[in-house]
Formats: sequence, C-alpha cells, structure tokens
Amino acid sequence: MSEKISRRDFLKLASVGAATTAVLTGCGPASRYVVREPYTKMPEYTYNGLSTYYATTCRECAAACGLVIRTMQGRAIKAEGNASNPVNLGKTCARGQATLHGLYNPDRITEPYKGIRGQPLGRESGSVLDWDAAIQVVADALKNNNPSEVAFLMGMAPDHLFDLVSDLTAAIGAPAPVRFGALGMFESRATLSKAAENLLGQPAMPFFDIANADVVLSFGANFLETWLSPVAYTRGFAKMRRGNPKRRGYFIQFESRLSQTAAKADEWIPIHPGTDGLVALAIGKLVAEAKGGVTPRAFASVNVADVVTKSGVALETLESIVHHVVEAESPVAIPGGTALGQSNGLSTAEAVLAFNALVDNFGKPGGVSLSPLSPNQNVYHRPASAQEMTDFIAKMKSGGIKVLFVHGVNPVFELPKSLGFAEALSSVPQVISFATFPDETALASDYIFPDHHGLESWGYQRSVTGTQQSVLSGAQPVVSPSYNTNSTVDVLLRAAQLAGGKFAEALPYADEVAFIQSKLTNLIGETDGSFVAPEINTFAAYFQQHGGWWKNAAELPTPSAASALGQGVTVEEAEFAGEGEFFFVPFVSPTLAEAGANKPWLQELPDPTTTVLWNTWVEMNPETGKELGIENDDVVKIVSEAGEVEAPVYLYPAIRPDVIAMPFGQGHTAYGRFAQGRGANPADVLGLHFNEAGDLAFAGMRVKVEKTGRKQVLSRLEGKLGVYGFIEEK
Amino acid sequence: MASYAKPLARQKHAEEHEEDPRQHLMHDPLPRGQMNAMVMESMRETGPIFWIITAVLAAFVVFALGYEWYVLIMQGQGVAGVTRPDYWGVFLVNTVFWIGISHAGTFISAILRVLKVESRRPFTRAAELMTTFGLVQAGLSIFMHLGRVWLTYWMFPIPNQRTIWPDFHSPLMWDLMAITTYLLCSTMYLFLPLIPDLAMARDRTQGGWLKVFYKTLALGFRGTEGEWKNLTTAMNIFAFAIIPVMFSVHTIVSWDFAMATRPGWNSTVFGPYFVIGALHSGMAAVAIVLFLLRSTMKHYKYFIRPEHFNTIGMLMLLVSMAWAYFYFNDYIVPWYGGDIWDKLFQEYAEEGPKWYLWYTMLICNIAVPWLILWNRKWRETPWLLALAGILINVGMYLERYIIIPVGVTINRMPFTWRQYEPRIEIPMTVGTFAFFLLLYMLASRLIPLIPVWEVQEGQEAHLIRKIGKAEISTLSEME
Amino acid sequence: MATELEQAGFTNRSEEELGGRWGMVVDQDLCTGCQACVAACSMENNVPFVGEEDAGYGRAMHWIRIERLWESTEYPEVKMTPFQPTMCQQCHNAPCEPVCPVYASVHSDSQDLNLQVYNRCIGTRYCGNNCPYQVRAFNWYDYTDARIRPELTTLQNQLNPDVTVRRRGIMEKCTFCIQRIHKAEDKAKSEGREVEDGEFTTACAQACPASAITFGRIDDPKSEVSRAATSSRGKHLLEELGTLPRVTYLAGGA
Repeated sequence: MSEKISRRDFLKLASVGAATTAVLTGCGPASRYVVREPYTKMPEYTYNGLSTYYATTCRECAAACGLVIRTMQGRAIKAEGNASNPVNLGKTCARGQATLHGLYNPDRITEPYKGIRGQPLGRESGSVLDWDAAIQVVADALKNNNPSEVAFLMGMAPDHLFDLVSDLTAAIGAPAPVRFGALGMFESRATLSKAAENLLGQPAMPFFDIANADVVLSFGANFLETWLSPVAYTRGFAKMRRGNPKRRGYFIQFESRLSQTAAKADEWIPIHPGTDGLVALAIGKLVAEAKGGVTPRAFASVNVADVVTKSGVALETLESIVHHVVEAESPVAIPGGTALGQSNGLSTAEAVLAFNALVDNFGKPGGVSLSPLSPNQNVYHRPASAQEMTDFIAKMKSGGIKVLFVHGVNPVFELPKSLGFAEALSSVPQVISFATFPDETALASDYIFPDHHGLESWGYQRSVTGTQQSVLSGAQPVVSPSYNTNSTVDVLLRAAQLAGGKFAEALPYADEVAFIQSKLTNLIGETDGSFVAPEINTFAAYFQQHGGWWKNAAELPTPSAASALGQGVTVEEAEFAGEGEFFFVPFVSPTLAEAGANKPWLQELPDPTTTVLWNTWVEMNPETGKELGIENDDVVKIVSEAGEVEAPVYLYPAIRPDVIAMPFGQGHTAYGRFAQGRGANPADVLGLHFNEAGDLAFAGMRVKVEKTGRKQVLSRLEGKLGVYGFIEEK
Repeated sequence: MASYAKPLARQKHAEEHEEDPRQHLMHDPLPRGQMNAMVMESMRETGPIFWIITAVLAAFVVFALGYEWYVLIMQGQGVAGVTRPDYWGVFLVNTVFWIGISHAGTFISAILRVLKVESRRPFTRAAELMTTFGLVQAGLSIFMHLGRVWLTYWMFPIPNQRTIWPDFHSPLMWDLMAITTYLLCSTMYLFLPLIPDLAMARDRTQGGWLKVFYKTLALGFRGTEGEWKNLTTAMNIFAFAIIPVMFSVHTIVSWDFAMATRPGWNSTVFGPYFVIGALHSGMAAVAIVLFLLRSTMKHYKYFIRPEHFNTIGMLMLLVSMAWAYFYFNDYIVPWYGGDIWDKLFQEYAEEGPKWYLWYTMLICNIAVPWLILWNRKWRETPWLLALAGILINVGMYLERYIIIPVGVTINRMPFTWRQYEPRIEIPMTVGTFAFFLLLYMLASRLIPLIPVWEVQEGQEAHLIRKIGKAEISTLSEME
Repeated sequence: MATELEQAGFTNRSEEELGGRWGMVVDQDLCTGCQACVAACSMENNVPFVGEEDAGYGRAMHWIRIERLWESTEYPEVKMTPFQPTMCQQCHNAPCEPVCPVYASVHSDSQDLNLQVYNRCIGTRYCGNNCPYQVRAFNWYDYTDARIRPELTTLQNQLNPDVTVRRRGIMEKCTFCIQRIHKAEDKAKSEGREVEDGEFTTACAQACPASAITFGRIDDPKSEVSRAATSSRGKHLLEELGTLPRVTYLAGGA
C-alpha cells in the first residue's frame, strides 16, 4: 500500500539533508528534512486530493509492529498495519489505531523548557529555551560530570536511540542505558529471560508458537491483551483456533480472574494465586505417567494431591487436561502475567518450560523456541527488572547520579510509589527529560527538551518477539513536525559535537539519518531478507519504503531440552506480603496499556470484560460484595502494607471470591487533560517484593478493603439492566 | 293527578326524588339579556389575582418554552434525557398526552351533539378550547424532540428545489397529516358555534380594539333565519365529519408505536388503546377545567351545575371500564403470546426500577374511577370529580411514560438496556402545562367560555308550563 | 445463509435480495474483544468521543461495539458469551428505512446497503428506535465542534476528509466504509474492470488482529467472504425478524 519512493527522490531528499546539515549544526531543528510548502506546490510524488502512504513503526508499545500511515496534504489521517511486516502482517491493535491521538494531542509539549520542578508546565512557571541553549545544556551536562555519574533511563523499545546511547555511554565510560517500562514490569521479562537461561541454555526471550499448537495451556499469560507482542500473539491465537480446517485448537487459561484472554479460553481455571507452577508440575507428572516410562526428574517429586488442595483445582479437572495434552499433536504451555508476578515466579516459569520440554515441543511447530535476535543485534538485551530499578534508585538517592536523562518512560507514574523514584529525584542535581507529553516525570525534571512524536521521527526498532523471523522495523516521519520539537538523537549528536573530545569521537555522525544508516550497513548485500540492495542509499530507500528489513525464513534457535528435564524444579509456595483477606491482582488495562490514558479515543474504548470507560475500578466477586455489604459503584479503599488507593467497585462474577483486581493505566496526576485526575493507580499499593529473578512480585500482595461510604458511578458501555438483570434494582 | 310530559333529561329521578326542577340548568331559564350580561361580566370583571397568576404563568412560559427551548436547540438534544437506546423520551409522552387531552373536546362537542345529550350544552366550548390548546401543546412538544427542528419544513409536501417528497411510508408523516387535519377541523368546529356568541359580544362592547376584534371575527352575524340555517347545517356537517377524524387521529398517533419493531410496541391493540386512553384522560381533564371555571369565573355557578359533573363522571366511569380491559390485555397477550421480549417488557414495567410508576398508574386509572365514580353524590361534587380527574390524568401521563421512556429500555439487545432519566424535559413539560393554562386564561378574557346561545336554545326547548296548578315540562323536538 | 424454507425453494424473494452485494462475516470464535476494530472504525469515520459522563449514560457514538453477556454467573461455573462485534447489519429489509419521514435513511439499490444521508436528517430518531440491533448513534451535542470543545483543535488534523463530519441533531451509523467502496469502485471502473476481492476492505476488517472480520462481495462465490458465510457455523442476528442482514456471524465455541 505504500507509495514507492524512487531512488531519485530519495537522493533528492538525502541531498537536501546533506545541504541542510551544514545549516543544522548552526541552528534549526531536523524538521528541515521535510520542507513545508503551500498546497498548490505539491511535492512530485503527491497529488492534491490523493493520499500518500508512509511506512513506519508503531511506538505505542515495544512490539515493533509496522504501520502504514495514510497522509493527506501534510496531515496524518489514518494508521493501518504494514502488511509486509512479519510481526503484525497488516494488523493493528487499538493503541496503534489511536496513535494519531498522540500525534495531534492538544497537550503535546511544543518547545524546549527550563521548568521548575514539580510545577505544572507552562510559561508562568519555567521559561522557554531555544534549541541552541538546550543543546548547550546537554553538552555541559555530559562534559562537566564524571561519566560514571551520568545516567540514561529509557523506554522499553530497543530502538536506534537506545543504540546511540549505548554507543555513547560505552565510549565515554558511563553506565549503560537502563530500559524500563510498566509493561515490562507486568510481563516479568527478567523472569522469562532467567528461566530461559536456566532451562534453555541462554538468556533469551522465549517464543511460544501458539499458531501451530493444538492445545495451549496458559498460566496467567495475557497474550491477547498487552503481553509482549499482542498483535502477533492474537494472530497466532486465531490460527490456532481456525487456521487448520481439520481441528480447532483447544485453549485452557489458568488465572485467578477472567481476563480478556481467559474469556477466549475453552476452560478458565480460577486457581489459587501463586500455585501456577505447582499445577504445571502436577500436570506434567500426570502426563508423564500417562505416557508411561520414566518420569523426568523435574516432575518426579511433586505431590499431586497436595497441589490439588493448594491450588483448588479438582483432580478430575487436572486429569481432563492431561487427557487433552496426551491426545494433542503439539501442545504448548505458556508462563506469564500473574503467574510470574509472585515470589515463586522464576520457579513457576521454569516449571512451565520444563513442562514444554516434557511434551517435547522444543524447536517444533507449535512449541517453544527462542525468539530470534534482530538483524543488527548480536546479543539479547532485556529491560531492567524491578530489582535493578531499585538499585538504580538507590544510586540516585546516594548521590551517585549527577545528571539523569529520561526518554520514553514515565517512572514517577509507572514505578510503584514504594520504590521511591519520585523522592530519589530530589537527590539528582540535574534531570533532563525528552518527553513528548507533559507526564509526571517530565514535570519533575529540570529541563524538558521534547522529542518528536514517533510518527515525526526517523529510526528503527528491533522486534524482540512475536514472530519466527528476525525483524528490524523502520521508522520515518509521516508528517513534518508540528511543533518546535527536536529529535533526541539529533540533540545528542549535536551536543556531543559541541562537547567535543571523546564525546565527539564517540558519535561521529552528521545527523540522525547518517547514524541510522551506519547501523544498517551490515545488512547491505544480505540476500536472505525482504529486499536486497547493493549500497546504502538504495538500501535506505527500500528500508523506508518497506518499513524495515527482515529475514525471509523462520530462524528460531532451538533450545536443548536435556537440561530442562534433568534438573529438579522446586516450586516453593508463594509468599504473600502484607495482611488482608484479599489477594491483589493489578493487571494492565487492555485498551490503555501503560501510556494510553492521554488519548481520548482509548479512554472511550470499553474494557473488554467489564466495559467500563474512562476510569479505574476494583473487580470484586458479587458474593464477596454481598457478604461485605459492598454494592456496585461503592468507592472502596484498598490498603496494603505499602500504600493505599481508592476506586469504585465493579461486582464481577468471574473472579475468585478471595481476589480483587484493578486495572493499571489510569491515576495520572499529569499527562494532559484526558489523563489527569482520572481514576487511580494500583501501583500505589505495590510493595518492594520481588521474585527470584528480580521482577516485581506484583500479584504477591495481600490487601484489606475498607468502605469509604462514597459512591462514584462508573461509566459502562454495557446496559447493566440488560447484562445483570433489572429485578434486583428496587 | 300529576301528569308530566317527559323531558329528555332526569324525568325518572325527578319523580323519585322530587327535586326542584330548577336545579337543572335547562329548567332554570333566565332572560336572554341577563344571561348574556352575566357572560360578558364574567369576561370583563376580574381581580388582581387573575393578572398576577397570568403574569407568573407568562413568565414561566417564557422561561421554559423560550429560554430552555433555546438552550435545547442551540446545544442539542443532549440536554434532554434521551440516549441510546432511549431515543424517545418525555417530549413524545407530552405529545401523546396533549393529543389525548385534545380528544375530549371533540368527543363532547361532536359526539354528544350527534347523540343529542342535552347536558353537554354549557361546556362544549370549554372542551373545544381544550382541543385547540391541547393540540398547540402537542405540536410544540413534537417540535421539541426533533434533532434539527429548523428543518422541520422538509416534512411538509411542498414543492422544493430538491424535487423530493417526504416519505409517506413513515408513521410520522401520517401523524403530520392527521394532526394538521384535526387541528384545522377542530378550530373550524370551535369557531362555528362561537360566531353567534362573538356577535353577542360585539353588540355588547362599546369600542376599542376589543370591538374591532369581535366585529372582525363575528363575520357580520346578525342572527337572521338564513344565517342560522347555514350555521346549523355547517355545524352538523362538522359534527358528523369530525368524529371519524377524532378516532383516526389518535389511532394514527398510536401507529408511531405500533408500526415500530420494538417489543411491547408492536401490537395491533395500540389503535383502540390510545383512543380509549385519550378519551379517559380527556374526560378527566374536562372535569378539572369545569371545576376551575366554575370556581373562579363569575356567574359560572349558574351555568355549570352538579348535573354536568354527573354527566362527565358517568362518561369517565364508562371509559375507565373500557380502559381496564386494555390493562387486562397487557397481562394476557405476553402470557399467551409467548414472545420473551414482550414478556420482558411487561416484567420490566412491573418489577424494574420504575415499578412504582406501574402500580401508581393502575391505582390512578382504575381504582380511583371505580371507587369514586359509582356514587352519584360523589359524581356531582365538583371538587371531588376534579380531584379524580387530576389523579386520572396523572395515571394517564404515567401510562404514556411507561410505554415510551420506560418501555424503550427493553429491546432485543440486552447489552444496550439503559433507563432514561428526564432532564430539561421537566421544566419544558411544566411549561406546556403553564402555556395551556395561560391560553385558557387569556381566552377567558377574550371570548365567552360558555356557548350562551346553545344554553338558551336548550332552555327554550325545555320549558315548564303551568297549566292550572300543575307544572308541566314540555320539550319540543330539536332539529 | 438463507433460512431453511428459503433453501428449500419456498421464497418470493430474488436471489439478489437473499444474497446481497457486500457482505461481512464475523467469526466469534476468533474475536478476542480487543477493540481494535472499534478504534479503527472511529478513526476512519471521524466518530467523535463523548467523554465519561455522556458515555456512561449510553451516548457513546461507537458505530461498532463489542457485546458480551454472561451465560452463567454462578462462580466458579462462570461463562461469558462469545464476544460479539455488532455493527449496522445493512439489512435488505431495513426497519429503519420506512420510518424516516424525510428519506434520510434509504436503501441503495446499486450497493444493496442502507444509506444514512446526513444532510437530510432532521433528528426524529425513529430509525434509531426501529433498528432491532440498536446500532444507530445520534449526535446529542456538537461533539465535533472545536469552538465549543477546544481540545479538538489539534485533534481535528486527523479527521478523514473522505467522510462528512456530523453536527448535532444527526443520526449516524456504520456504512460498511462506503467511502472505501466508492474509491475502489471508481478506480476499478476507470480501469475497466470489476473490483477484485481483497483489493480493499473496511477499516474494522483491516485492523482486526485475529482476522475475525471478513468483508467483500458476497455475490461473488470465489470471494473470501462468500466462502466464510456458507460455513455451517453461520447465523444471523435476530433472524426471526426477517430483516435479511448482510452480516453473518460464525458461532463461537466448539
């Protein structure tokens, strides 16, 4: 669907770029690549009234789905999936569709600011800088501080900015950039990586080929919502269900609440929180016994009756699952979500991976393998775990960080309050934010040097998982930047030049495009990818046109099963922090994810299972509600040992009576008019509890529920009278 | 030996109870001039309270139908309580309600005239005014509910630049035709019997704009034989012609609902259901109006007597029995019909969040008339009948409220069910009531509310003559 | 797709009436309720957002909504019904058409779709009442006017110029992305051919990650949507009403 950019045109653009480079170092933003012209003087490849399509990458989460943006007369008007990108194959999720509400958001930061920490952004507090002064600030920050005291905190996406900063910090002797995001926290990526290292031989992101599986056992993994690569996994799910005309895939979800993913399962098994690993071991043992032969060491010592008691799953249910697994051609089990967010999360992940080894699906269609590394990547790098963030925060508190650069992440909101990031900021003398929106962290910074919106940016992003091919997704501006923003890569490049010395040597690139191209050179001449190009300019032209470069063939490194089965896997009973009669399950809002609250059309999307719009709620079983005298829309206070939070109740039938759940994504105190002052943040009650891999045990808390006596009516898309009946309402 | 000729009215009771015949208006004649003067005096003389009330009503009407409606038009239907799936709300209820009220006028005026019921004579005009003013409110209400009311003229079949007719398949177009016809016919039917009284007023008015007003509208009526003949012919034609119009109008309005696919609405019973309902609320409203007129207007105690309330009361009772059948029908049809959505509709009305409206309605519409109206004494007590009228009208309003805003919650997609809550509709509804009263009050200053010539005509026919010592009432055959 | 009687030949309707021209198939076994279609449709068709209070009162303008009910709510035997994306069914016998007094809701003979003529609508809302699927949305306020909602000033940039932006007092609904239909047919006509299956699709079908929505020429037996519609799992919503909808639902579950 993308218009072809001829080589001639690209050269023209590139030459424009070259010409303006000289101008760039003096003044002006990188937007001079794209020159604004009146409608009557259209660029050669555009016609008035016809649309131009640009391929780029979606930046709403770190999945690296490809987008094709339809533009008309300089405005981006529709986001579609890039049909060629193997991650999403032309499909998009709701957040990708609403990305234009970020690009054209009324609350975007429009120019560089020197702010007053803690004050809302505006001309009254703080002052506007011009970009020269801004870049000077960055240059000084780099130059005047000991490199070991310079820190970069970045978002989840392993993109070209991350590569640039990695190169820079490596060259000057600063600590490597830390990547973090709330999604990563709820996905327990460190746990998956560590489990892969322990059982599969190397740290990696496991890949679960559900598309070709015929029985899927998911232990808490919300792969249809926001988990890892939702569009790719949803495609896989669809193929599992109806892709094979001979059979319909069978799907079982173990989760203490009926999530959107669990709603699609053929069986939803509401197990006791923290017992996923035990259940996996028990099923494994029963499967091994059913198949006959020696039970592998991993499963030998588990006591099935004990597991039945602890998990609340009846023996008949386990046996029926065993039957499905034994009859299956390609069963697969997936660990994720609340199963890993427990104190025993690592051993749970190992138990589930061991189960996969037991059913012998490693490296096979429908089974477990390792996600391929991206084409220009050598080593798997994962975002920081909560434990690593805690260490980072400790370094901040102790004065070990003199200047902190923040890009693509909002730690004041995304990290639980108990980790103390906001307080630790006061121990950092200089905080520089590159935020595009006025989020909480940006407002707590000294300077805001706004980056372009993702759709106004050049770049590339590595696909971490979700597809069998190695994928590097490309990005290009689809419109000229609307405001006086500047690409952070360009800012750092110019600052490095300005700082001179080892900084300038570390980043000897004329501009962002030059840097990007330097990272693509190893792909020139490769013949096993989506296109072949003999030299860099052609390669770059095709790269932009196709929206990236990816290997044609599936390349899934196969892990070895031996170590998985040969070890003993002990799953301890989960420990829950705090007191209280309820287990607390925060889950990422399937519509908002971590950063969608400022987009009004995402707020107007109903949560798939509760249909609540524009707010936060607490899910509670109606029987529990009746016992406690709590009705729908009663505002309750959830109290943990780490904090408290208030939200109205939604009496949700499909949740364990001893569990309450709350979506994550709202509760902003900044971040624009659509997000601010709306809802509540469940991270406020999460405490400093980690699993063995260092990920936050976010589902490992016990909480108390107190009535506040107030009512706050939730907006629902569903008609309560029709869905839940009208006779009780007297 | 007493030998009485048999007048048409009250002969039997007069024998049994030996009433003073002068209790009945028809047997209590006064000289023509005196009656005319009484009527003119009741128009002219009024206290300051009248004008205070008029001012208050006018102010409220300006607020509710001026300002609030302006807000409604400029901001959109969102300031009302309508939503998805409750697309129709109180404005439609008002429309149906006011059309219902308007039926009383024609019923009394036309049907009672055709059936030669003598006791109708003093209150036909008050009832016909109810028709006209009620239709005004109905028309206003239907405009209030339109999303783009400034384009209403697209519904009129007039030549236009787009060369496109309105869609006559739509029950709303049938409504337009029917209500316009009804409004025009009933205004004519109001006007025709008004001419002789306007002529009387013209002759008794000295000067000023009022004289010009009467002179113009009286159309030069002099009371000659030829003029009376033509007038009587015209009135008779209208009386017969407007009866089918009356029945058809509310039937057509009911087809707005009966033609819809919604459960609970899509039923052939709606035609007679609405007509009987209209009569029920209309008769009750007539009782209220008569009570108010009798209590507030000078000399009206002469014209409007307990016997008239008795007539109205008996009609109310009769209609309420017919009405009770329709409630029976409401229970039976979902039961034997078996359609789950119809059943849910009924269940929702009786057991949903607005269950109290259903039971209040039953009490007001059935229990109140059946408890009060069997007793003749009670029927003849004006304030009691008016109270019954008020309760019945409350019940009838609730009945339409249950059909429309409450019933519209139920459809075949339970995911969409939501209960309607009125917002700006409340002041605007009160505004229509205030406007109705205001029009009445202004009319009472401008035109005689009693059709004096008809009363006189009746009294002439019901003379009591003394033959010797015996008092004999005679009646000449009315044309 | 046709009822049993019709399949047996007892019908007074023509083949075209029964079959239609543009059709959609929604596979409820695949739909995950992710709302990507809802977002895509809203972005494509300039559907306004109404805010928390109005959305809670039922005034959200979604042209397509994902419905779900509960088959049973007795824990632990809780079962949700399959997610059901509900959009205008483009009925051949649309109940919304005969009730509009001004011909704002009309049937297109050439496309066999139900058209909503925005500039003709006077807002009687009878069509909304009469739609058995309740898929029509009404503009209760000027939701799109940047003069009264200043937050729209920058958001207006993403409006699709191919689709009218509606003001207050107007009814709207899913159009099967008729602007895309027209564009594709114009292009095909100028090239002297028919529109090929898969050449374009509706916004919802294009976005759906599970490929649960399929769209195309249902009178072309070779098209994807035709083949999907003949599945034995296929059913229509409220078929007993005789609206002859053009959307087929494939039942969820085994």
